[in-house]
Amino acid sequence: MLRKPITPQKPRVSQYGVDPKYVTKRVAEYPEITSVMLSDLFPDTPKVIYPSEKGIAAVREAAEKALENIDMSMIKPGDSVNVCASHHGFTLLGGEPYAELLRTVRDVIARKTGTDNIRLRAGVGLRFRETEEYIKAFKLDEHYKGKARGVAPVDEGIPIETEIGTLYGIKAIYDADWIVHVHNSDVREVHFHRQVDRAVKPFGMSYARIETRSTYHQNLGPRGANFTARSIFASEFVQSKFAFTAFLDMSPVGVVGVDADNDLYALNDRLTVAGCKYYGKIMTLLGQIDECIAALDFPCPVPYVFAAGVIYANFVGANVDLFDLEGDLPPYTWYTEAFYGKDGKPLIEGVPPVNPAIKMCVQNYGWGGYPSAFFSEHIPTIVVGREQAEVMNRDPQNIEYMSHAVIADNLDTAMAFAYKTTKTDKVIIFDGAAGGINVSESLAKFLIEKAPYVNKLVDEELLPKWLCQRGVDPEVLKNFK
Amino acid sequence: MKLITLVAKVDKEKCTGCKTCAKVCPTVAIEIVDRKAVINEELCRGCGNCNQRCPVYAVTMEKLEKPYKVSVAVEDVPYEKIDELCKKALLNPEQIICYCTATRAEEVAAAVLKGAKSPEELSQLTGVRTGCKVECIQPMLRLLEAHGVTPVPPEGGYQWYGRTPTIWDIPEEVKKKYSSRGFYFDEDIKLLNKVKDTRKEEK
Ligand code: SF4
Ligand code: SF4
Repeated sequence: MLRKPITPQKPRVSQYGVDPKYVTKRVAEYPEITSVMLSDLFPDTPKVIYPSEKGIAAVREAAEKALENIDMSMIKPGDSVNVCASHHGFTLLGGEPYAELLRTVRDVIARKTGTDNIRLRAGVGLRFRETEEYIKAFKLDEHYKGKARGVAPVDEGIPIETEIGTLYGIKAIYDADWIVHVHNSDVREVHFHRQVDRAVKPFGMSYARIETRSTYHQNLGPRGANFTARSIFASEFVQSKFAFTAFLDMSPVGVVGVDADNDLYALNDRLTVAGCKYYGKIMTLLGQIDECIAALDFPCPVPYVFAAGVIYANFVGANVDLFDLEGDLPPYTWYTEAFYGKDGKPLIEGVPPVNPAIKMCVQNYGWGGYPSAFFSEHIPTIVVGREQAEVMNRDPQNIEYMSHAVIADNLDTAMAFAYKTTKTDKVIIFDGAAGGINVSESLAKFLIEKAPYVNKLVDEELLPKWLCQRGVDPEVLKNFK
Repeated sequence: MKLITLVAKVDKEKCTGCKTCAKVCPTVAIEIVDRKAVINEELCRGCGNCNQRCPVYAVTMEKLEKPYKVSVAVEDVPYEKIDELCKKALLNPEQIICYCTATRAEEVAAAVLKGAKSPEELSQLTGVRTGCKVECIQPMLRLLEAHGVTPVPPEGGYQWYGRTPTIWDIPEEVKKKYSSRGFYFDEDIKLLNKVKDTRKEEK
């Protein structure tokens, strides 16, 4: 079952990370590193259309097929349509599958409706020019005939009246006759949205103004947060503009297909099940790890680097079942971070500590552009290279990150120090390896040994519980494809 | 509290005077003079909004030779007053409300009690909302409102629009409608109440 390491995702030129020329060595290059395919760990790992022999054409084909039966009759020739996108999709498998979905959505709308006034509006997280970079890199401005732009939560806003009161959206998202919501089903920030209304989240996040996003992370609670998204989506205003949705259907091993619907809630119910099932298993397995060095090696901010489809922020909380809604606070969310007092201890009882299995974090390659000091404060962190440390120091969101981290001149010294001080030889690499996970041989053996137990635990106990908590009858699993 | 390490600089050749930077600056440090952006470096808190939104990339962020701290001393205000104001805003005085600068509610409350009248003044004085520029606007507005201040957004700006609901404001019928879908509103209220009501010494 042990294979040679999977090629990590390449570094990307970005104003938020170090110049790729400084990423001189990848953690996966070490002889002690091997890989495990997820299909070898979990027998129900789904088949993927990408990566596959067909290449990116498989995504276009699946998208065309999914969009065939979508009702677009509300869009008349000459109507304006905003195809709304988010940065997150571009971080999956190098970004090309999501870019191809966005291209296909445009082509199908134009063909089926006769309108040519189709704009791409791509929202962001906390790196306001990130989608601008992707639009250029994937030439989406050309495909959208010059009508492609990145939008940010500090751009001009509009009030949206909702069931709970006034929230605010980005004006440029809604400045068309119709909006089309193009996203992906990767679970990513389970600690924030808790896989409740996952498909709706961008309405409260990348399409929303700062007032709304602050509502999400400060005014509601760790389990109610994503309700901001539903409130906005359910509003009369948004409903009057919503045409349909198209999703890149993701699993931890790659793109499973493309799903589309005129009813976002129906699509949401489908992906609630798939997300709990596929990501639930690998996250539960990673939660079993007893000790390790976590190596970050991916073109994304620290919390968003991927291993086996799971982000580092979720591994930091993997000592707790993040899908279980009975648990109030995950070890990491902004609510949790807020509740640590001046003495570095929690303000209340019952705040779970960050994953004690992570003995050290080696940041070989990871970006700024997200407030990450919590991670370096709670987990001993070595940053490789002064240039990378400087990226963090120059980032207004990470002024204190390096106050808690040390710098190593190169990856070799960082790893040697990590091995020596932690006394573990288990290494997990967050480098976006597709289809599996790059780990040290010792950790590979550990995961292989634990996988059958986790498989059974999730199928028989956890998954039915997670689904019930979300109002989904576990019976749906019988017909789940 | 924030350590200010950067300052924004405008390339006058590139600047078209479009005013975008002035509309997004959280400390209202930018004025347009003779169709060019002019930055008041005394007020700039190095947040990078202008750099990130300028359509012609005319703004760069430069490292300050002498970084400096902005903060409001909590000790300057009787702590009972701070505690009372935070309680009214449904916050624990020790909780962090700005994740990028690790600024706690008590410092912002102290700034409000010392007379700050707007989110812009709070950003200038404490550095809050000058990291990610996104997540902390609501607790700032809640603290101002709890002190009876009704700030008005900067004219024509996009800095902020208004206070939004909290979990305590969600109507019962809405909670009932969605509780079976995984939104644990009442349980979260219990948790947030515990946070706002617990004081370290009592614990
Ligand atoms: S946003 Fe840029 S172009 Fe517009 S006024 Fe400011 S510096 Fe000048
Ligand atoms: S505070 Fe921010 S937006 Fe204002 S001038 Fe400084 S860097 Fe630019």
